[in-house]
Amino acid sequence: MRQFLLARLAQAGIVAFVVGALCFALMRVLPGDAAMRIAAGRYGPDARIAEAADKVRLELGLDRPWLVQFLDWLGSLVRFDLGHSLVTGAPVVDELKVQLGASVWLAAAALLLSLMIGPTTGVFSGLRPNGWTDRLGLAGSVILRSLPPFVLGLILMLVFAIWLGWLPPAGFGTWRDLVLPALTLALGLAAVSSRVTRDAIAAVAKAPYFVFARHKGLPEAAVVRRHGLRNAAIPVVSYLGLQAIYLVEGVVVVESIFAYPGIGHALVHAIVERDIPMVQGTALAMGLMFVAITAAVDAASAWLDPRLGRVQ
Amino acid sequence: MSTEIVSLSVSRPRHLSVTRVIGAALLLALAAFAVLGPWLVQADPAQQDFSASLAPIGGEYLLGADHYGRSLLARLAHGARLSFGMAFLTMLTAAIPGVLLGLAAAWRGGWLERMLELLANIVLALPGLMLVLLLLAFAPGNFGPLYFGLALTLWVEFYRITRATTATILKQPHIEAAKLLGFGSGYILRNYVLPSIAPLIATLAAFAMATAIIAISTLSAISVGLQPPTPELGSMIVELLPYYAEAPVHVLLPAVLIFLLVLGLQLVARKDNP
Amino acid sequence: MNAPANIRELLISELSIHSGATPIVRNISLSLRPGQPLTLLGESGSGKSLVAQAVMGTLPPELAASRTIRLDGADLIASPPEERRNRWGRAISLLPQEPWLALDPTMRVGPQVAEVHRFVRGNAVSQSNALAQANLADVGLGHAGALYSFQMSGGMCQRAAIAIAHAGGSGLLIADEPTKGLDADLRDSVVTRLKQEVEAGRLLLTITHDIGAARTLGGTVGIMLEGRLVDYGPAEQVLTAPSHPYSRALLDADPESWARRAPTPSEDVVLAGRGLTKAFGAHVLFKDIDIEVRAGEIVSVVGPSGCGKTTVGNILLGLVEPDAGSIERRMKVSPLRFQKLYQDPPAAFPPHQTIRTGLRDLAKLHRRPWSGVEKLLTRLRLQNDLLDRLPSQISGGELQRFAIVRALLLDPVFLFADEATSRLDPVSQKEVIDFLIQTVRETGLGVLLVTHDRALAKRISTRTIDLAGADEARPG
Repeated sequence: MRQFLLARLAQAGIVAFVVGALCFALMRVLPGDAAMRIAAGRYGPDARIAEAADKVRLELGLDRPWLVQFLDWLGSLVRFDLGHSLVTGAPVVDELKVQLGASVWLAAAALLLSLMIGPTTGVFSGLRPNGWTDRLGLAGSVILRSLPPFVLGLILMLVFAIWLGWLPPAGFGTWRDLVLPALTLALGLAAVSSRVTRDAIAAVAKAPYFVFARHKGLPEAAVVRRHGLRNAAIPVVSYLGLQAIYLVEGVVVVESIFAYPGIGHALVHAIVERDIPMVQGTALAMGLMFVAITAAVDAASAWLDPRLGRVQ
Repeated sequence: MSTEIVSLSVSRPRHLSVTRVIGAALLLALAAFAVLGPWLVQADPAQQDFSASLAPIGGEYLLGADHYGRSLLARLAHGARLSFGMAFLTMLTAAIPGVLLGLAAAWRGGWLERMLELLANIVLALPGLMLVLLLLAFAPGNFGPLYFGLALTLWVEFYRITRATTATILKQPHIEAAKLLGFGSGYILRNYVLPSIAPLIATLAAFAMATAIIAISTLSAISVGLQPPTPELGSMIVELLPYYAEAPVHVLLPAVLIFLLVLGLQLVARKDNP
Repeated sequence: MNAPANIRELLISELSIHSGATPIVRNISLSLRPGQPLTLLGESGSGKSLVAQAVMGTLPPELAASRTIRLDGADLIASPPEERRNRWGRAISLLPQEPWLALDPTMRVGPQVAEVHRFVRGNAVSQSNALAQANLADVGLGHAGALYSFQMSGGMCQRAAIAIAHAGGSGLLIADEPTKGLDADLRDSVVTRLKQEVEAGRLLLTITHDIGAARTLGGTVGIMLEGRLVDYGPAEQVLTAPSHPYSRALLDADPESWARRAPTPSEDVVLAGRGLTKAFGAHVLFKDIDIEVRAGEIVSVVGPSGCGKTTVGNILLGLVEPDAGSIERRMKVSPLRFQKLYQDPPAAFPPHQTIRTGLRDLAKLHRRPWSGVEKLLTRLRLQNDLLDRLPSQISGGELQRFAIVRALLLDPVFLFADEATSRLDPVSQKEVIDFLIQTVRETGLGVLLVTHDRALAKRISTRTIDLAGADEARPG
């Protein structure tokens, strides 16, 4: 357990380093006056910008070696001193708080929906491998996996928002705005988790310990409850770790398509507008969200599977 | 308890699965469209003709025209070529160093393997698309960072699978036996390692191309990838989206093309068992 | 502990099992009474496991059993599935083969026993736990209730399975390959435990290919070949004077019955290790051992798994570095003349290469004529048509003989046979050993045989080095 935590902490460190290094490089290579940009990023564009820029130029000293400046840069990153947006002038941290909340809601709703769709179909497929539910599930999974999330999102939007008019096509505020983006992500996630569940169920049903539990004389319900569910859940949960990648990538895409004001949407906007402090803040927040999800999956896996994290 | 039963059922004849054949046929047709299409369809994908704006399918323009009156057939053919070509190029750029470094790490071990593992872990610390996005921030809408970012995230999978599989193979008794029998590294690599990892690499290559096609179209659709007027399938969808009421099929065509490309790759890469 | 349900007789008459129209098991009649355990011997594919599955009622749906199996009068074949299932754990218990795979890896052992009391016998939770503790204590696992199966040795897992059978209180025990994958010492303790079950009044049906286990269990023995029962009777009679030629071949193949036939060595030492020491981390495998192999002799290294006996051979071949000590090889001999045979023959051949390609490339590499290969193939009685198959399409015994051909092609002076026959059925084991001894006699090859089979080591080697001392360990 401790090792997992250390590994995830190291990963969080790497995330901060990669994001910080790229944004530092970005600051230096973009045409124009870096000092001006940094000053605006720090104090907001409404401050007396030229004066501030001079101060920054002195302080960061474009005469100082770049390594020192880089360490400085990373230092403020670690202290969560993320500066101001170049566009709105608001402190990045304040913007992040709002956006992160919206994105966490979306991710949680998507995950919940996908767990309702994926493993359920998976269980029905796995109980009768090669039956018609299994074949149907397989076909659905292959089709969904061949659709990029933005295409899937557009299809759902056209069908449910525009043709049927049941749900709003974009926006933020009520649960109705959450349904379509969450469903888009959930279907993509369920396309994979249903098959993982199906394979896990089929494997457990053939496992010697499952067969032996029947031979012990246990009633079928006890066999499934005591020896089936937990064992089948292990691969499904550990696969969620990989699905975290899809979830985070999907949040960026789906938020942009549905104009959902979360952190992914903000990241894409910041990139288009070259708002470096916002790029750095949003990328860092999303990266850490990714690490947090994988850490949670690690913990769940270790809880489910006593073979992990124990000396044999 | 069922040793007897196993021997009864293993003697089924091996045959190429139907899904793989369908996938290969689909890919072949799409590749022909991507390679020959732009050459057969003489129309310029950027040639505007406002009198033909949103021309219907089957008229003067075989697959209709978009809102600027550009031939959709020409744009789809060029879009397919762009997606296919770029995905292929990206896959090669990722696969060649990935496989070579994986082989080197498994074969040599030591500090080389540790360095490569660290590098792989650094790349994997962030979801791939986020790394590509950050690189795109240097030059949004450009081919260079998109290509470089995708190759950078995709090589890791080739590296890790090659390293892990090769390490497992090298630990097997038949490798030790071959060394004791006097066979050299070249022979072992050619005859024992490569035949075992080749099918895996082929599967990975198909998945990598599918990932690249999805990523390119997605990033273009959210306007940080390739920009109009480049005939890119993802940005074509978004460009045509405002006209869905007048020409719904026009919007769907590029989406169907992306879907078929990825579907073909998925089917080809599938395991043989259902 | 629960008294076993009182079962007086299991009677199998004229049992046949068909797959479609093809008979797989034909016309088997057996009976089993308290105090008289029944052991079915035979190689894999002989149908002995199917008989056990028919009794248990777990035949795969594509197989059909006919005629009768009676357990104290109740017809097991005719009874509907629910009724069959109702007997599991209550009347009939199956001791699974490889019990370390049959215990749930995510549940501690105690609850796996207690759930039988709770769900099969309907006891309250606290009482179930207490009874389970008693069952575990009964098989010497009183301390192990809180362990997971992966924290226990193979022998402990086997005893836990027996405790589970006790918990159900069934009167008929079916032991499916109870000694599979166990070391000699552990094997004896498992067989002793099974004998105690018989003495406690349970009926015991054992399925095994282990002749030694059948001998120790006593009672009645049946020998199966290709779905038929070719010999059946009291153990003393069947195991000493069998009537069927196959039974005789099977018994002759048991090293226990061999005359001592170690080749006579020369004075010429081909390979020696002095003061060898090896440890993995803090675990010392062996310390300061000397070992010498002369031309024309077989030296054996025995010991339980995990004791480092394979490592000794690998150190002598230079595949593993010792922590201390030195290796002396006979001067001016090419390193290619030191060869090895492997435990798992299919793993010792590249899976994608036909045997012919492998041998052809080897002959070409060392400039040996193909006629030399053919001569060796004839000597080891290997058919030419096997050459174009892949390793997975050839039996283990034949593959191991191909491995000998491969090694002999290089004129070896030393051969390290690492458990080279432990995965083969007894008849193939005897063939391979015969060829090995013949080669040692004819060519003056020196062999280091690593094995867990002390009887085999005793019969064919000039000297035996015992690396005992390691604790009982889970197999491979």
